[in-house]
Amino acid sequence: MATSRRKRSIFDIMDEYFESMEEWAESVMESIIERPSWNCRACTMEPLRNIVVTGDEVIVTVDLPYAEQSTIQVKPIGKDTVEVSAQMRRKVSFGDFGITHYKGEFQRFHCQTRIPVPVYMDKMEVRFKKGILEIRLPRKHEYEIPIE
Amino acid sequence: MNPDVRVIEKKEIPKGAFMIFGFPDVGLVGVIAASHLISELNLTEVAYVGSRLLPPIIVLHEGLPHSAIRIFGNHQILLAVSEIPLREDLVYPVMHALIDWGKEKEVKMMISVSGIPIQERQDLEELKVFAAASSPETLKMVQDKNLEVLKEGYMVGPQAIMLQYCAMLGLPAITLLAQCFFNYPDPEAAAKALEQLMNIIGLKTDISKLLEKGEEIRLKARDMMKRTQQELTKMKKTQEYDIPLYVS
Repeated sequence: MATSRRKRSIFDIMDEYFESMEEWAESVMESIIERPSWNCRACTMEPLRNIVVTGDEVIVTVDLPYAEQSTIQVKPIGKDTVEVSAQMRRKVSFGDFGITHYKGEFQRFHCQTRIPVPVYMDKMEVRFKKGILEIRLPRKHEYEIPIE
Repeated sequence: MNPDVRVIEKKEIPKGAFMIFGFPDVGLVGVIAASHLISELNLTEVAYVGSRLLPPIIVLHEGLPHSAIRIFGNHQILLAVSEIPLREDLVYPVMHALIDWGKEKEVKMMISVSGIPIQERQDLEELKVFAAASSPETLKMVQDKNLEVLKEGYMVGPQAIMLQYCAMLGLPAITLLAQCFFNYPDPEAAAKALEQLMNIIGLKTDISKLLEKGEEIRLKARDMMKRTQQELTKMKKTQEYDIPLYVS
């Protein structure tokens, strides 16, 4: 039996592209989520964080409750990763959350965040307000598409 | 009534109470507010949601199993709270079951407490609380209480379905939305929402403890926030930022 194949329009292709991007984003989110948010061996907690990419810059925010501002460190690792660490003003144990089946104490936040587009790491701007660290990285536009 | 989702009562349920909803959403505003109300007003568990549609998760408290979706209450309030984010496909059946149950208990009004994300949240000193209602009469009541109305826009999540279903059934309902962070627990926003909730139901609660414990709450709520964010992405929550095309 002959089947007629409909020609794909640019909109179909764009829909497929965005669907595949969404699937990729979901799989990345799940891979971040499906592991503990703490590390007993390193005595660290992984903070919540978020990345926003705008036309000019990438804004990374990190939620750091109890963080001692003077201990916050932001380090670029290579061209596309930022490492954040901070000491907490007080030690936190599983017992503080009512959990008795794990043992461990935490006094430091630590996380590494990959930046999805090229940026100027050396032009990084950092501020800490309301317990939230904000890192702004200007975007590096390596090529431009000429408009005819 | 949806036969797949049941509300199982553990205690006698008062008639004519306010029914409040605190479900995981942006900033965990509803859950943080609900948790504070439970401890401040010494609310006890009066009912819970049982369903095979729910994920196989129980919550252990003092070694005993509890449903992740429970109703706490006293003679004035019935407070439905979830300790897990609702999956997109469960929003309708769970909310409909809870509202049908509330209707059966002749609740005075349904009020969901939630948040509305704002991009400049970090720089905001004074947070606003917006409201939407299920009928023009309820909306007028909200305006008489000096609450700002969310006039146009999209609403995504359990509070949206609560409002829509109550409007359909002719039940008075309000959704309170405090400006908040999208993906960070926001106790300050929860405190603001609680202030307005108390303004509507005419009760008093001390929100100072909630603000004092803000950092502790933010630390404790990290995992729930991460799971909630995952569900919000699937639910296309960012549509709340969209500018609607008003079709009259």
